[in-house]
Amino acid sequence: MRRKEQKTGPYRQTPTSLRDLTAVTVCKAVRAGLRLLGRGGTALPGKAALFLSPKVLETVSDGMEIFVVTGTNGKTTTAGILAQALAESGRDVLINSSGANLLSGITAEFACDTDLHGRPRRRWAVVECDEGALRQAVPLLHPRVILVTNLFRDQLDRYGEVMQTLDRIRAGIPAADSGDRCTVCLNADDSLVSSLAESPAASSTGPVLQGKRFRIRRFGLGPLTAQDRISENADAQYCIRCGARYEYRYHTFAHLGGFFCPECGYKRVRPETEVTEVLAADADSVTVRMRTADAEQAAGNTKRQEVRIGLPALYNVYNAAGAVCAWQAAGLPAEEILQTLPLAEGSFGRMERFDVSGRQVRMILAKNPAGCDQALSYLEGYAEPYRLALGLNDRTADGHDISWIWDADFEKIASDPGITECLVTGDRAEDMCLRMVYAGMPAGKIRMVKEEKELLEQIERGGEQRERREPGEAGAPEEPVLILVNYTVMLQLRETLRRRSGKRAFWENSERQEEGTGGQVCASRSGKGGTE
Amino acid sequence: MKLRICHLYPDVLNLYGDRGNILCMRKRLEDRGIACEIMPLRIGETADLTRYDLFFIGGGQDFEQEVLLEDLRKGKKEELKAAVEDGRTFLCICGGYQMMGHYYETADGMRCPFLGAIDFHTVGARRRMIGNYAFSLSETSGGSTVVGFENHSGRTMLGPGVEPLGTVLRGYGNNGEDGTEGVRYHNVFGTYSHGPVLPKNPAFCDRILETALQRRYGEASLAPLAVPFEKAAHEAALAQVKLRRKPRRGRSSAWL
Repeated sequence: MRRKEQKTGPYRQTPTSLRDLTAVTVCKAVRAGLRLLGRGGTALPGKAALFLSPKVLETVSDGMEIFVVTGTNGKTTTAGILAQALAESGRDVLINSSGANLLSGITAEFACDTDLHGRPRRRWAVVECDEGALRQAVPLLHPRVILVTNLFRDQLDRYGEVMQTLDRIRAGIPAADSGDRCTVCLNADDSLVSSLAESPAASSTGPVLQGKRFRIRRFGLGPLTAQDRISENADAQYCIRCGARYEYRYHTFAHLGGFFCPECGYKRVRPETEVTEVLAADADSVTVRMRTADAEQAAGNTKRQEVRIGLPALYNVYNAAGAVCAWQAAGLPAEEILQTLPLAEGSFGRMERFDVSGRQVRMILAKNPAGCDQALSYLEGYAEPYRLALGLNDRTADGHDISWIWDADFEKIASDPGITECLVTGDRAEDMCLRMVYAGMPAGKIRMVKEEKELLEQIERGGEQRERREPGEAGAPEEPVLILVNYTVMLQLRETLRRRSGKRAFWENSERQEEGTGGQVCASRSGKGGTE
Repeated sequence: MKLRICHLYPDVLNLYGDRGNILCMRKRLEDRGIACEIMPLRIGETADLTRYDLFFIGGGQDFEQEVLLEDLRKGKKEELKAAVEDGRTFLCICGGYQMMGHYYETADGMRCPFLGAIDFHTVGARRRMIGNYAFSLSETSGGSTVVGFENHSGRTMLGPGVEPLGTVLRGYGNNGEDGTEGVRYHNVFGTYSHGPVLPKNPAFCDRILETALQRRYGEASLAPLAVPFEKAAHEAALAQVKLRRKPRRGRSSAWL
């Protein structure tokens, strides 16, 4: 299904101004310098470019077709799915690495992907954008599609509360070109995200989209299974319009589901892209039935098809549905992306798999309670005995506030006999140990390992008494290790595991991939696929 | 023996892991063979508050606090004030703590009337006071050291003669100026400390439980419990706080 892009770059014919060209050149030089030093530097080169020319991003992305993905959870995975589909269908695509989702990082990624004249080399781009950076990045990128995945509480000391984040997104979207040029894709099941499409009069927090009209498309999950009542910790229990308590026809997780307000009538709108049934789910994938409506056709003309998503857990079903929605919003045929969903792979610490000295290791990023709860649900359903490793840092990129671990439902797994041992690492390992004790994990299973070297030994060797272990005992050779970590633990540990398992560094992946490697193309963080 | 705990507004005042405090109180009671009943009281629900020995109020989002104030005005306000004067024990965190005062004044001068159960008020500031911090409890509250996490833009000013909960060792506390942290009034313990505060500070938790048991049963002596994990977490957090002269402020740049 790989086909050649008819038009090859550059996609802009107007010359680059001297100022912008200088900024681009300096950016490339700084990055090359950092790479020589063995650093993955993404922010500093961009800062240098922005210092020289604040709007250089507009120049270096001019003429490109751009997807912007924002929201609390699922940005990286959704962007990865889109980039993979673009690459697999023979389109040139640039994707920013997940650490580079602020204006400086995004600028660097685009600037470094230009030719000698500072013109973009690729036609398509998928940009993962921090909610706070949306307002600066969107007016420069002129995206075709803006996708908002979901909104949960996240790093409260940094981003403030959920409503403030929503206001930032609300302020960021109108910066895009209105009308037919830009389509906004919203999570229909998230009452906060859905409110972005509300009319100004109905809003409690100011004019919506500042009077501009946007095409809106939605994605969501239908009533799949009977779920428990909405959790006490849900981030949106009261109507954003009138303050009454929402009622739900069904829940998927956290505050997502078929919500409606009994007072003012604000409710979930039936989405164009909807997962109507989960047909099968295991530790590596989910098979669902998805209803899609082609962008150019009437809403009545819908298709239902069976789709296998190559990633486990319910939240990845949302990510896949969001990606399909955005894909169609860009006017691309649904079949292309549906064909690549089975190839989806966990990228950059998100359900990513490693083979470390013959031992299966899966790394799951969990940096806020909603994401963590979903990861824990995945672990809850894990059938085989496994060893668990938990990592908690409180550095700037993580947020200094780690209290959220008490909002996540570790009780779900703590007394699971399938967990043979619980390794705990990170700057705040002591806090995590205490949380696990409270959750009900037997103290004898908990083992604090602060040094990374020792942790790695533990992961590889499975404890000192490896020789005497029987299958099913802690550290038995076939026993997988599941690692649940927050952001900076992930960065560091992933790098170590990557070296041990022979994967490439994320910045090395921008090199051209081999033809015909299938899913590999997207595992790259800057997946350039297919084209010469 | 049995202690009845009323968890006020768990549906809105549920930020920053404050429910960990409920888990902690329950665990430390049950480990000593004391029964514990926890009753969540949500918006719109009513209950006979005189049944309860201990009230817990956590922190919340601004948007949801408006919904809550309306519920307070519908009658709970007077009941809660009566419970305070009656010597019932309260643990109030951050937004829940501010709510016990007279009012909250926003940075642009808007006044939001609160319970007025204790003589203090809170004024919104531009700069948020965020970070790990530590304070030592006053003698009336046990004198131990508490480590926690503060995150508030409101600066709280205690009225004349009102006793603070403790003295700031590192961090901002009530307002970043006078070195006070929280409030202690009758049996009300008010603090800005998230974290959640109790699991890592078992001595503080026991002090609160003893206060409630004392009122109910006339005497209370809690047997000591082994706290290896609690101690490790407390000491690690304290060591980290001590490294800092001022709490770190949130920065949004991600340098790799």
